[in-house]
Amino acid sequence: MMSSFALFIIVLIYLALLFLVAHLAEKKKSKVWINNPYIYALSLAVYCTAWTYYGSIGVAATSGLNYLPIYIGPIMVIPAWIYINTRIVRISRVNKISSLADFISLRYGNSRSFSAIITIVCLLAIVPYIGLQIKAISETFHLVTETPMSKNILTDNATFVVVLIALFSSYYGTKYVDASEKRLGIISAIALESFLKLFFIIILGLFVIYYAFDGFSDIYEKASKFEDFKAKNTFNGIEGAMNWMVLCLISGTAICILPRQFHTAIIENRQEKHIKTAIWFFPLYLLIFTIFIFPIAWGGRLIFEGQNVNPEFYSILIPQHFDNTLITVFVFLGGLSSCISMIIISAITLSIMLSNNLIIPYGLLGKFKSENEVQNTRNITNIRKFSIFALIIMAFGFYKYFILKTSLDSVGLISFVVIGQLAPAFFGALFWRRGTYKGAVIGLLAGLAICYFGLIIPQYYFSYNQELKGVLREMYNAFDFFSISFLSKIPQIFFWSILVNTGLFTIISVSVKGNYRERNFAELYVDIDKYIQNHENAFIWRGTAYVSDIKNILERFLGKNKTEQALRIFNLKYSIDSQTETADSRFIKFSENLLAGRIGTASAKILIEGVTKEDKISLKEVLNILEESKENITLNKKLTEQSDELQKLSDDLRKANESLIIKDHQKDDFLDSVAHELRTPITAIRSAGEILADDDDIPLDIKREFLNNIITESDRLSEIINDILYLDKLEHGEIALNIQQNNILETYKKSVNPLLHLIQQKNIHLSEVNLLNQFIFEYDEARMIQLFQNILGNALKFTDDQGTIQTKLSETKNELTIKIFNTGKTIPEEDLEMIFDKFYQSKNQNILKPTGSGLGLAISKKIVQAQGGNIKAENSGLGVTFTITLPEKIKEIKNEVEHN
Amino acid sequence: MKKRHEQKLILLSIGLLVAFSIPISLLFNSEKEVFGYPMMLIYVFAIWMISIIISFVIVKKYDE
Amino acid sequence: MKKIIIADDEHKILMSLEYSFKKNDYDVYIARDGTEVLEFLKTMIPDVILLDIMMPNLDGYSTLDLIKQDEKLKDTKVIFLSAKNNPRDIEKGLEMGADAYVTKPYSIKKLMQQIEEMF
Repeated sequence: MMSSFALFIIVLIYLALLFLVAHLAEKKKSKVWINNPYIYALSLAVYCTAWTYYGSIGVAATSGLNYLPIYIGPIMVIPAWIYINTRIVRISRVNKISSLADFISLRYGNSRSFSAIITIVCLLAIVPYIGLQIKAISETFHLVTETPMSKNILTDNATFVVVLIALFSSYYGTKYVDASEKRLGIISAIALESFLKLFFIIILGLFVIYYAFDGFSDIYEKASKFEDFKAKNTFNGIEGAMNWMVLCLISGTAICILPRQFHTAIIENRQEKHIKTAIWFFPLYLLIFTIFIFPIAWGGRLIFEGQNVNPEFYSILIPQHFDNTLITVFVFLGGLSSCISMIIISAITLSIMLSNNLIIPYGLLGKFKSENEVQNTRNITNIRKFSIFALIIMAFGFYKYFILKTSLDSVGLISFVVIGQLAPAFFGALFWRRGTYKGAVIGLLAGLAICYFGLIIPQYYFSYNQELKGVLREMYNAFDFFSISFLSKIPQIFFWSILVNTGLFTIISVSVKGNYRERNFAELYVDIDKYIQNHENAFIWRGTAYVSDIKNILERFLGKNKTEQALRIFNLKYSIDSQTETADSRFIKFSENLLAGRIGTASAKILIEGVTKEDKISLKEVLNILEESKENITLNKKLTEQSDELQKLSDDLRKANESLIIKDHQKDDFLDSVAHELRTPITAIRSAGEILADDDDIPLDIKREFLNNIITESDRLSEIINDILYLDKLEHGEIALNIQQNNILETYKKSVNPLLHLIQQKNIHLSEVNLLNQFIFEYDEARMIQLFQNILGNALKFTDDQGTIQTKLSETKNELTIKIFNTGKTIPEEDLEMIFDKFYQSKNQNILKPTGSGLGLAISKKIVQAQGGNIKAENSGLGVTFTITLPEKIKEIKNEVEHN
Repeated sequence: MKKRHEQKLILLSIGLLVAFSIPISLLFNSEKEVFGYPMMLIYVFAIWMISIIISFVIVKKYDE
Repeated sequence: MKKIIIADDEHKILMSLEYSFKKNDYDVYIARDGTEVLEFLKTMIPDVILLDIMMPNLDGYSTLDLIKQDEKLKDTKVIFLSAKNNPRDIEKGLEMGADAYVTKPYSIKKLMQQIEEMF
């Protein structure tokens, strides 16, 4: 049992905590906090109000599954937020939208009257809802303290709580006047509350499941003994399922359009990528919440069976039943959190709408025009502060006099249906270019009329009267025709109102053309992605306007400094001379945007209109301009693409040129080395010839030797010339490879035969190791013979007498590997790759300069590469191993010009 | 996030719409019990859980 | 008898030169690369050195460098014999301090005449 006083103190401490969090968040503004996507995602949980905390339990206990659609609707819609909300956020950011009313009315031509109507609709829908929260606070306060409600408002403790909340909201909610400044303090407090309310419901849930009962299955077993249990947990046939579905649709719409949701999800959004976190986090949050509702509801029914207890307050009554004061207070605080969040956010957003769309445009603009910035800002803030306070008090009054007798559930749903009338205009704004102002307004009014007569009047009329009288009665009888038997009241009215609303919206929009201003904004909204970089350009306006006049107005709201800064940014963006006197359409849009952040789009437009003179443009002209600008945007994109391509092309060209120059140098170098190589044998020939010609008494053996030299060097010369030509052909792919299936062993034997004589002469031991499973491979036999002879010939030259040459043939998955090893001097490390270069002569040779053309290894490498394989040399212990790898399946690879 | 990954999420939305509408939801509308609990309840929460997991995976995997 | 060191890595060229110079009363020492030349220079001072440029282990340029640093060899005539024929290489060789640069293929007779004229 808790005394009123004690609970009141607890509430004070709690509010102080909120205050502290808000204060710290504002003060520190730490990066981590600001950019935290979870703060954003948690703030969305303002959706869960007293209805969730108390009402849902009541519904779960009395009509079973029907508590779920309020949450299922949102989770159906939320994944699509990746597309929908991202675009809404962009549109709102670009146009400095400060409320739901701004968003919708701007799209349909920025009309003052439309935004006023929307504001009134929101007020009608939300104020009762706020009253609901107050009702919950008051009733739970009295339940916990077990005191009766006082008849006198002034002595009722709950009243004081409400007043405190109103003060908190009006202080922190109006700290920032500009729409682009995010209310970090408030949002942090809301996020904390979302966390706390979830935390407390989890505690309560665990308490009920494991303390009051013996686990989930225990509750279930006992509850299933209720005769209505089965019925409650299944649909009541197709009727039940249909009602369920419509309720899902209602809540799915609400999650997007409810002013408090629009405010937290769109207006207070700092980074688009936070939406991605919200997409999985928020449904998870809702899931945890709703999972505990089931056991609490049925647990309550079990505990209070037979007693006439309001199931909506099971959550308070259960712990109280077990005399657990701590948990009772926890639950109370959890409920308090849900109520406070809702009240604060709704009050703030409604006050913005009220000030921007009703109070300022319809009375105070004259005053503002003549005052300075400080005064104006103060006035705006005061108007909003006052509005918040007034709204909360109004809601309080509403609660006291109207909804004392009605259930939380139905008030909430009616609220949803009313706000849902904005849906056709809202979603039409995003997706349908053709939607017009007239269509939207008429549809909205028609839908509202149906709501009024179908829901509101019966609800509140019947609070006071028992029966319909007179005119009303006849009217209702007439409309009886339209009643759908299998839908209950609220889904039915939702169905009809939305149907008529959407129908009129679409029909009127396609029959009556809108004006050019609407059409302009329609383009801006639907194609936001295209216009986002330069939306000022997309605004079409013609007429006379002077920068100084507009600057004057701006200064009155932004102050001198901010105005100067803004103008500088604008001039920079569009490369405009700061001395320009006339203002163009971009400037008009820019200025309207700046003002809209302060006083809303409607008032901003009116103020700017006041100092400019717009020429009439026909809709046709506007459409043409829009088409043109669209074409320009695509053309621009194409041009950028082309210029990028050109850039790439010229880069490629430059690279090709560079490589050609390199190749040219390489060719020069090659010619040099060729000439050099050719001159050496020629010198030997000439010298020998000269001696033979001049010397008559040359000894015979020397004579013979010289003559032989001439012959061998001529051969060598011939070989060099042939090899050069051959290598050139190989490099240019002019040697046609004759790739066939051949037996590698036979090919090898063919290669070895001519060399056997030399091998024997040097007493070299030649051996083969064959690890092949099969011998048939694809290659050009003639080339392979050439290759083998090259390598073996090489090996022969460098193997010392009585040394060994060993050939190993093996295969891996799709490669044939031939290793030829010879004992002898190893090759210096740095030369291992370069020996395959043409005419390469190592600097640090211990290798004798091989006789032959010096091109043998280069040719070998080319042959191998032409067949898709690879060759490398490595030192292995006592000698050198050449490793040749060939792929099993050879594709004819045209040789590229050699890369060194 | 690339367009086609966005579309996966939109598909998820549509999928949920279908899963909870007639006649699919009615398929699970029986008095039979699964794991000892009402089938409808299990169905709703199972679909719910799965959709959260799918959203999480798509967002994490394709976040640039 | 004049002393001459002939350095070239091509055996057949060495053979011709050796024969011709021996026939002309030269004391001929043959080397196959720069290191072998230096070996000789440790123990004798030649009158002429015929240097091929492209040799393994120590090429003609480096050998000339080292010769130029030796005081004792200031009177020795060094002649480059090379297949590198373009003007740049000839210029380089002469700038390095060679007394002459003869390109391959050459006439042995003319070569000997040139050497005679240096003394």
